[in-house]
Amino acid sequence: MPKAFFIDTTRCTACRGCQVACKEWHNLPAVQTRQTGTHQNPPDLNPFNYKLVRFSEHLIDGVIRWYFFPDQCRHCFQPPCLFTAEDYVPGAIVQDEDTGAVLYTDLTRHLSAEEFEEVRHACPYDIPRRDSGTGLVSKCDMCIDRVKNDKLPMCVNTCAMGAMHFGEYDDIRALAEKRLEVVRGEFPNASLANPDDVAVVYLLADEPERLHQHAVAQAPAPMTRKQLLARLARPLNKASRA
Amino acid sequence: MDISRRSFLKVAGAGTVGLTLGQLGLDLRPVAAHAYAMKIDGAREVISICPFCSCCCNVLMHVKDGTVVNVEGDPDYPVSQGALCAKGAALLTMHVNDHRLTKPLYRAPGSAHWEEKDWDWTLARIARRLKDTRDRDFKTVNDKGQTVNRVESIFQLGTSQMDNEECAVSHQMLRGLGVVHIDHQARI
Amino acid sequence: MTNHWTDIENANAILIMGSNAAEHHPISFKWVLKAKEKGAVVMHVDPKFSRTSARSDFHVPLRSGTDIAFLGGMVKYILDNDKFFHDYVVQYTNAACIVGEKFSFSNGLFAGFDKKTRRYDRSLWAFERDENGLPRRDTSLKHKRCVLNLMRAHYGRYTLDRVSSTTGVSRENLMRVYEAFAATGAPDKAGTMMYALGWTQHTVGVQNIRLAAIIQLLLGNIGVAGGGINALRGEPNVQGSTDHALLYHILPGYLPMVQAKWPTLADYNKANTPVSNDPQSANWWQNRPKYMASLLKSWFGDNATEQNEFCYGLLPRLDEHGDYSLMYLFDRMYKGQISGGFVFGTNPAQSAPNTHKTRRALSNLDWLVVGELHHTETSDFWRGPGMNPSDIGTEVFLLPSAQRGEKEGSITNSGRWLMWHYMAQQPIGESRSLGAMVVDIMNAVRKLYRQEPGAFPEQLLMHDWPQAFDPDRIAKRNNGWFTRDVEIGGVAYKKGQQIPGFGNLQTDGSTACSSWLQCGSYLDSGNLAKRRDLSQTPMQANIGLFPNFAWAWPMNRRVLYNRASVDANGRPWNPAKPVISWEDGKWVGDVPDGGWPPMASGKGKLPFIMAADGYGQLYGPGRLDGPLPEHYEPAETPLARNPFSGQLSNPCMKRMISDADPLAKPADKRYPIVLTTYCLTEHWCGGGETRNTPVLLEAEPQQYVEMSPELAKEKGIANGDVVVVESARGRVEAVAMVTVRMRPLPVEGRIIHEIGMPFCFGWTTPKCGDAVNRLTPAVGDPNTTIPEYKVSLVNIRKADKVTEL
Repeated sequence: MPKAFFIDTTRCTACRGCQVACKEWHNLPAVQTRQTGTHQNPPDLNPFNYKLVRFSEHLIDGVIRWYFFPDQCRHCFQPPCLFTAEDYVPGAIVQDEDTGAVLYTDLTRHLSAEEFEEVRHACPYDIPRRDSGTGLVSKCDMCIDRVKNDKLPMCVNTCAMGAMHFGEYDDIRALAEKRLEVVRGEFPNASLANPDDVAVVYLLADEPERLHQHAVAQAPAPMTRKQLLARLARPLNKASRA
Repeated sequence: MDISRRSFLKVAGAGTVGLTLGQLGLDLRPVAAHAYAMKIDGAREVISICPFCSCCCNVLMHVKDGTVVNVEGDPDYPVSQGALCAKGAALLTMHVNDHRLTKPLYRAPGSAHWEEKDWDWTLARIARRLKDTRDRDFKTVNDKGQTVNRVESIFQLGTSQMDNEECAVSHQMLRGLGVVHIDHQARI
Repeated sequence: MTNHWTDIENANAILIMGSNAAEHHPISFKWVLKAKEKGAVVMHVDPKFSRTSARSDFHVPLRSGTDIAFLGGMVKYILDNDKFFHDYVVQYTNAACIVGEKFSFSNGLFAGFDKKTRRYDRSLWAFERDENGLPRRDTSLKHKRCVLNLMRAHYGRYTLDRVSSTTGVSRENLMRVYEAFAATGAPDKAGTMMYALGWTQHTVGVQNIRLAAIIQLLLGNIGVAGGGINALRGEPNVQGSTDHALLYHILPGYLPMVQAKWPTLADYNKANTPVSNDPQSANWWQNRPKYMASLLKSWFGDNATEQNEFCYGLLPRLDEHGDYSLMYLFDRMYKGQISGGFVFGTNPAQSAPNTHKTRRALSNLDWLVVGELHHTETSDFWRGPGMNPSDIGTEVFLLPSAQRGEKEGSITNSGRWLMWHYMAQQPIGESRSLGAMVVDIMNAVRKLYRQEPGAFPEQLLMHDWPQAFDPDRIAKRNNGWFTRDVEIGGVAYKKGQQIPGFGNLQTDGSTACSSWLQCGSYLDSGNLAKRRDLSQTPMQANIGLFPNFAWAWPMNRRVLYNRASVDANGRPWNPAKPVISWEDGKWVGDVPDGGWPPMASGKGKLPFIMAADGYGQLYGPGRLDGPLPEHYEPAETPLARNPFSGQLSNPCMKRMISDADPLAKPADKRYPIVLTTYCLTEHWCGGGETRNTPVLLEAEPQQYVEMSPELAKEKGIANGDVVVVESARGRVEAVAMVTVRMRPLPVEGRIIHEIGMPFCFGWTTPKCGDAVNRLTPAVGDPNTTIPEYKVSLVNIRKADKVTEL
């Protein structure tokens, strides 16, 4: 069974330990940012930020709600990015058999800017980012080096609040379901985001769009959806032939 | 809306759970080709403590060839149990960082720039300024004629970044010089 | 902290007030969330809705500087509704003590105020005492001048309406907090208060905390698991640096600094050694002469003898009422009275109030030594905005400092745990630890004094001063050693042996100890700060106590005043969460606060051992500005009158007077908005260290100002606009962060807007903004002289041109 994360947004305090620890483990350089009227910075994922805590605030019936969403790759069980990239550069994106980690290899630099856009568009969570300088496409790698060495991914290791967990998918799924029941009183709109499909299971504190536009999978745009379906069909056909 | 119905895989018509990845029909690449060497392989582990808030999260510093290559929370510290906030998580680049000062610098009166100096020159020069000021301004008695043995024109500010042992010698030095203007972050 | 971090999990109610724990002590929130998960109610009372509020059960916005009004209302609620813990209050606090007839309180002033000196004659606040000097008590609590009844009268004025109108907090929100927190007055419930600079940085800072402590005593929350009055101390070692007295007014171990009026050690001891004739009072400070003699012995070594009063006469002495703190220092520097000095690991050009004045003051120095990791606004003040280097004659030395992982030593966390850290890498380049700088500078000066004549050379030369900085040696000395063979209580100790605990310290010079609080931390068997043992008894595990991990002062006690957690028979008030318990003739659990048997034995001691009378001090005659906290408006207030009295602001507050220290008038129309200042998670204090860490600057790159959409609309400001914030002292540019997290507050019949800004951004980091403290006033608390950073009056407008961002 694949490895999985459980990210509990009802416990996150946006201390951003995960965001920074991820950069430090991967030796990623800082990016130039500006204050634009929000604490969310960098404003979005980028080739040097695989993990980003998103901030969103609401005044609902006179009550202030401030939600934090530590965004990262969901490591989809059937990764549309992989299927998309496979057409252009075989092996650019791979999935690790032991862990289910979806990994972007050095070969991603052979994806053209347009091909990359297609890969990004295929992602239901808008995760992949391309370094226009090197052409490399990057995102969360599950700290595969740590995981292969029986260590927790750096973000999970760093989380103080018990908002992040890592383990076998079944255990993680059970933990998420249990936690969902616990928080329903305080967070009546809470739900799990696409728990059947991804290895990074989020417990959302409120309606998904109140946390992040891509908190749950978005149906891909018609054109791309068509392409996605075409690509999805191929390996499945292959499997049925086997 | 029921979130599970918004599952993208169902949109794509291929939702399955409980199957192995192979059964999902993926063309699994031999990821083992990647070498999963960690940057901390073979590193020495040293216990240190985050220099920010008074939670004092213990950290493990991984040291290779005399240089810190990674810092992460110490799971044995009962308070943090291995966790760190953004500041603690940044200890690696805080240590290995080209913004840091590496040489004593000197700015002469009226000058618009710093110049590098060695420690011997710097210490001797500081001692000279300190002694001359102290000798000039030393007060044996106050306005009431009471003995005070102090110098009011010299001060020290800081610091709670000092360890207890550093604080101990710092306080002792100041009283030894007769300094009374002593303050640090505990008052701000 | 009276308690410690992991103990927070034991609380049934958590009041976070004067603190933004989740942002400034992020890991503390781990324990808040654990408590919350077990059913604790978590309340955040603060002007701003922050990351702390987001994870609390509810947030209550209040106007900065009105905490005493808020908490005074809680005292009234507790007393009116009989919510206090009766047995605890009668037995362990001074509630029953009778205050003398000279005490009075009228129209905002206590008895004995001298308008000229702006000081009180505190003798008028004294208790009535019997022929033995013991306070007279009425345990029936009927006497009209017993403390509890004085409190009923005093806080009777703190009605819901008046408190609500003053603080801007709705009656419903007040009651929500009062009811939830007062419920911990039950013997089997505990409430904790977590505070930080939001309470201290006021002209009534000390009284904010006093009132919090009063509530905790009323509810029986001191000494118990999940209780306490918990200061979330600042930097990792601000606890240790306070214990070791990097402060003008104390010597290590909270011994008062020598004053000119105490010319001999005997005078010093007489003035500073309290006396109690009550056999039930431990009166711990009766031991002070032992601690002082041992400190002197550790400093002066063999030169210190009984005959020369251990070199007491070599110490500098303060004038009575002399204030040598930060704000006075810069005031005197501004006026040309200071020649030179040292700044280690702090950045006053950024973090002292009224920065324009501070920065100009620095240019009056002849010389300045800065020990730092990076260039800061202080080290480089001479090339800062508006400065012309050629006009500035200051000689500046900038010494490169080692980072934390480049030195070894001990630090003390907020829960008083002394912990050792080790060197991971050598100091980079030519950087050195601050300890090495201090030792080396002193050796260079001592060398000069040996070579040539100078002022009072004995003051320096008689010290036992190391050749090089050796943290292990100093750690041993902080614990202390015997200076000769002695026998104490039938046990023989050899010269050079480590002292097992401060109970062994002596007045005769046979013990040397630099910090009595640390005595017991470094034994012959080793340095207990290095302990990593997580073992616990089941009783200790039940309340998250780790007695074998590191070492806590005093004597490894983890919860202070823990004997207040048990009844007269030594049985825990809350049997589900005992801290200590008297079982089979001995205490088990935590290290008890003094080992005496329970009170009912007749041989016991009252639990509040640091108070001369042994009682927890609901009524505290010791503070300069009153025995009971009273609401006063901040030095800069949007109100023209104090809703509680005719005394607008704290009559004793400290205020700097110079041409650079203007204050806005009360209800000043030019500055109608309240500004509060703070830190944020990603930067530390003045920001020098974290702005130079690119991954942190990435997350919080520039100066911002948080304001409500209502205020933004009123001022025509959109989110992300650059605005100018102005006070009577300066102007600051900032990016507008328009947020529903700031709420307009209804106060005294009108709306008051409050805005908030972090103070970590400074000009040495290009285009990130510059010091917010250019706005704040140099006024402070009369007891501590801590500046009132938390309230100033400002105005705000959209910037017509941008220069700082």
